[in-house]
Amino acid sequence: MPEPLLRANAVTVTFGGLIALSEVDLEVAPTGITGLIGPNGAGKTTMFNVITGLQRPTGGTVHYDGHDIRRWAPQRRARAGMSRTFQRLEMFVGMSVRDNLRSAWEASVPGGVFGRQAAAGRETVEEILSRLQLHSFADRRAGELPTGICRMVELGRALCTRPRLLLLDEPSSGLDAGETARFQDLLVETTSGDGLGPAVLLVEHDVRLVMDVCQQITVLDFGRRIAAGPPAEVRKDPAVIAAYLGESAA
Amino acid sequence: MLPFIILGLSAGAAYALASIGIVLTYKTTGIFNFAYAGVAMFCAYVFWQLRDRWHLTQWLALPLLLLVVAPLLGVILESLFRLLAATTVEVQIVVSLGLLAFFTTFVTIIWGGNPRLLTSIFPSGKFSPAHDVYVTGDQAGTFLLALAMAGGLYVVLNRTRLGTATRAVVDNRDLAGLVGANANAVGQSAWIISTIFAAMAGVMLSTEEGLVTYVLPALVFFSFAPAVLGRLVNLPLAFVGAIGLGLLDSILAKYNSSGTLAKIETSIPYLALFLLLVAYGRRLTEVRSSLRATGGSRVVVHTGWRNLGWGVAAIIIAVAVVPHAFGASTIQAFAQAMAYAVVALTLVVLTGWTGQISIAQMSFAGIGAFVAAHIAGTNGGLFPLAVLVGIAVAVPVSLVIGIPSLRLSGLFLALATMAFALLMDKLVFASNSITGGLTGLNLTAAKIGPLSFASPTAQFYLCLIALSLAGLGAFWLRQGPIGRRLQMVRDSPNATVTLGASLTATKLAVFAACSAVAAIGGALLAVTQATVVPSNFSFDTSLELLLVVVVGGRSLISGAVIAGGFDLVQLLPLPAAVDKYLPLGIAFSVVAIAREPDGLGRVMVRQLSYALDVLYRRARRPASPPLRRTAPRLVRQKAANRA
Repeated sequence: MPEPLLRANAVTVTFGGLIALSEVDLEVAPTGITGLIGPNGAGKTTMFNVITGLQRPTGGTVHYDGHDIRRWAPQRRARAGMSRTFQRLEMFVGMSVRDNLRSAWEASVPGGVFGRQAAAGRETVEEILSRLQLHSFADRRAGELPTGICRMVELGRALCTRPRLLLLDEPSSGLDAGETARFQDLLVETTSGDGLGPAVLLVEHDVRLVMDVCQQITVLDFGRRIAAGPPAEVRKDPAVIAAYLGESAA
Repeated sequence: MLPFIILGLSAGAAYALASIGIVLTYKTTGIFNFAYAGVAMFCAYVFWQLRDRWHLTQWLALPLLLLVVAPLLGVILESLFRLLAATTVEVQIVVSLGLLAFFTTFVTIIWGGNPRLLTSIFPSGKFSPAHDVYVTGDQAGTFLLALAMAGGLYVVLNRTRLGTATRAVVDNRDLAGLVGANANAVGQSAWIISTIFAAMAGVMLSTEEGLVTYVLPALVFFSFAPAVLGRLVNLPLAFVGAIGLGLLDSILAKYNSSGTLAKIETSIPYLALFLLLVAYGRRLTEVRSSLRATGGSRVVVHTGWRNLGWGVAAIIIAVAVVPHAFGASTIQAFAQAMAYAVVALTLVVLTGWTGQISIAQMSFAGIGAFVAAHIAGTNGGLFPLAVLVGIAVAVPVSLVIGIPSLRLSGLFLALATMAFALLMDKLVFASNSITGGLTGLNLTAAKIGPLSFASPTAQFYLCLIALSLAGLGAFWLRQGPIGRRLQMVRDSPNATVTLGASLTATKLAVFAACSAVAAIGGALLAVTQATVVPSNFSFDTSLELLLVVVVGGRSLISGAVIAGGFDLVQLLPLPAAVDKYLPLGIAFSVVAIAREPDGLGRVMVRQLSYALDVLYRRARRPASPPLRRTAPRLVRQKAANRA
């Protein structure tokens, strides 16, 4: 296995007496999709927050691309190629969809806020709008769109920063079956299409989706890692079945 | 030394009550009550009215104040702020600042501005605990009563069910609600207790300094620093801090009664407030957890090119009408109003577009004005240089304020700017060598190259051009990438940083730019006013400007113009009553419409069009359709069968 793009070692997060994460290890390969699953409250979003720098871990280390990033501010991690979506939507509600994407691009480019390379930015934005089939919503205000579209906008926004590591936090929650299927195609196309796409860390509740698209899966339960490996192995793991999947999935 | 310690203990005790009151409502309901000073003053005046004017005995007046008036006021305030629970911090700050202005103007209207004497509620006379040391009844009483009240609160919070519920609510409001603690009742009790403490502090401080409308609020502001010492949540620490502040103040007073040190002494509470913000840094967090605004900010509309057309039209009309239709003094008033509008514009960018509250924009303007008067006072040709120097002074100052406070949430910038404005009043603007004292400094004939701005018409054009440029700059900012960046920071800080933009850098850049523009506005004010007087740049004027910007529309460039336009009211031949009630009306409007970033004008237009719409529809509505006279199915069936 090649050197992982992201490696978290023994990450621990406590909120007062509550242990949200306990010595969790996680590796994300430089290509392909890694899944992070577990029941509600298992600590998945907390792990995301630790990786992207919104939450300072109580203990443990996080290495990204060979660097120890514990002391990096979130924006520095973003500039180094990390990009994420949020389980609870964090849209720029006062802007149009197009401006949501454009501002993301500007944030990721040095001098972007002063309008440098604006033409290149516009091109990127239009390209991603059409790839995600968001063109018909481009001029609508983000605050007035349904959840399904918002998830797409957040994905588009994350893609606009040209990430090397894309962290998706329950991107299919609130999506209907058709939308989920379309999302799955998109995800596969984005990541593996030409081999140049970003590595993806995917938090997801839809087990079928995870099993279909992920090459590696880490399973959390009550803040601990209970299993890790390729989908076929994880699916058979008795601890996982007991904690999460249930008998029917096995 | 001992007499000063005694003095300090009794003054500190009064501050302590106020600090506790502020912390209590903040930790239980998440509202930092800037209006606390106004409430305390109002209560002190009510007590004066009851006891000294209506001659009720003290044993009736004091219970009336503490058990009827103050609790009632507390309930009113609590229900007002509960309405705002789900709004952004900036709206809550604006409302409490509006209330502050409301109470101070209200008191002035009812009781007039004349200082009054309030004799102590404690028995007069003194006793001597040691040789040559005397303690007055007032000093002993104040200290003991404050100690008793604080101790009583401690017992309530630690030994009663209300206390348990309060701690549950403070810990986690939602969870407390789930296990049966009534968060609203807890909040209400906190506000009632807090207001009672405000009343007591107001009475105590007034017996010391007299009932003076422009002194009392400043005294209550002293208690902000101890509150911050307790990180706005720790009651005992706030109490201890207040006593310490009282002691420090009094001991310093022993060593100097005049000169520079005396000035520093009066500004210690504000200095302490600011230093505490620096020292605590990120350990200062806001308490409100789940109450955080859910719907995000109210949307700030993009200005759009059509609005630019309105701006151009306004400029053309101004050029065509004002210099020709009015006399010199009116033209000058217009020029001055536009200079104010330039400063107001910085508040639109700060408050309306980035959600930061600054209560010090007129202090920055003052920097620009006094630097201009110093440099270009005798040689008008140096005016352009003076403006640049003003900017060069204002920007570093803004960074000193901004760097510690902008890393924190919005409340702390408001506190830091407040401390800065009050410090400027005490240390800089009160210094005769800097500001020329009450009479101020002169700046009679500013020049830019060959152009002289001695005449009102020239000043009018200067300010018009400056305002147009500033407006255009703001417009351009709003449309472009920087406008998007501001909106990002407002809408979702989390998404902003994870996309690679720095929150602090963005806010800091905006704050520094706004202070620079405010300094330019100040220089313009200096030109139009000819005499630069410190009182025109005090904390009060900063607060007033913020309030009129909120009324004018804090998200609109035109809101800044309207705010400047309030300055023209003095030209109108209004009856005295209007003059008197206008500030009250403004304060009231702020409290009423703080949620509306578009200001009073928009709200009125919207309400009016809604009302017209309803009337129109009612007029057009057809008469209600006749009820179908069809018999029930069964009846029809029977009829058919019969046939």
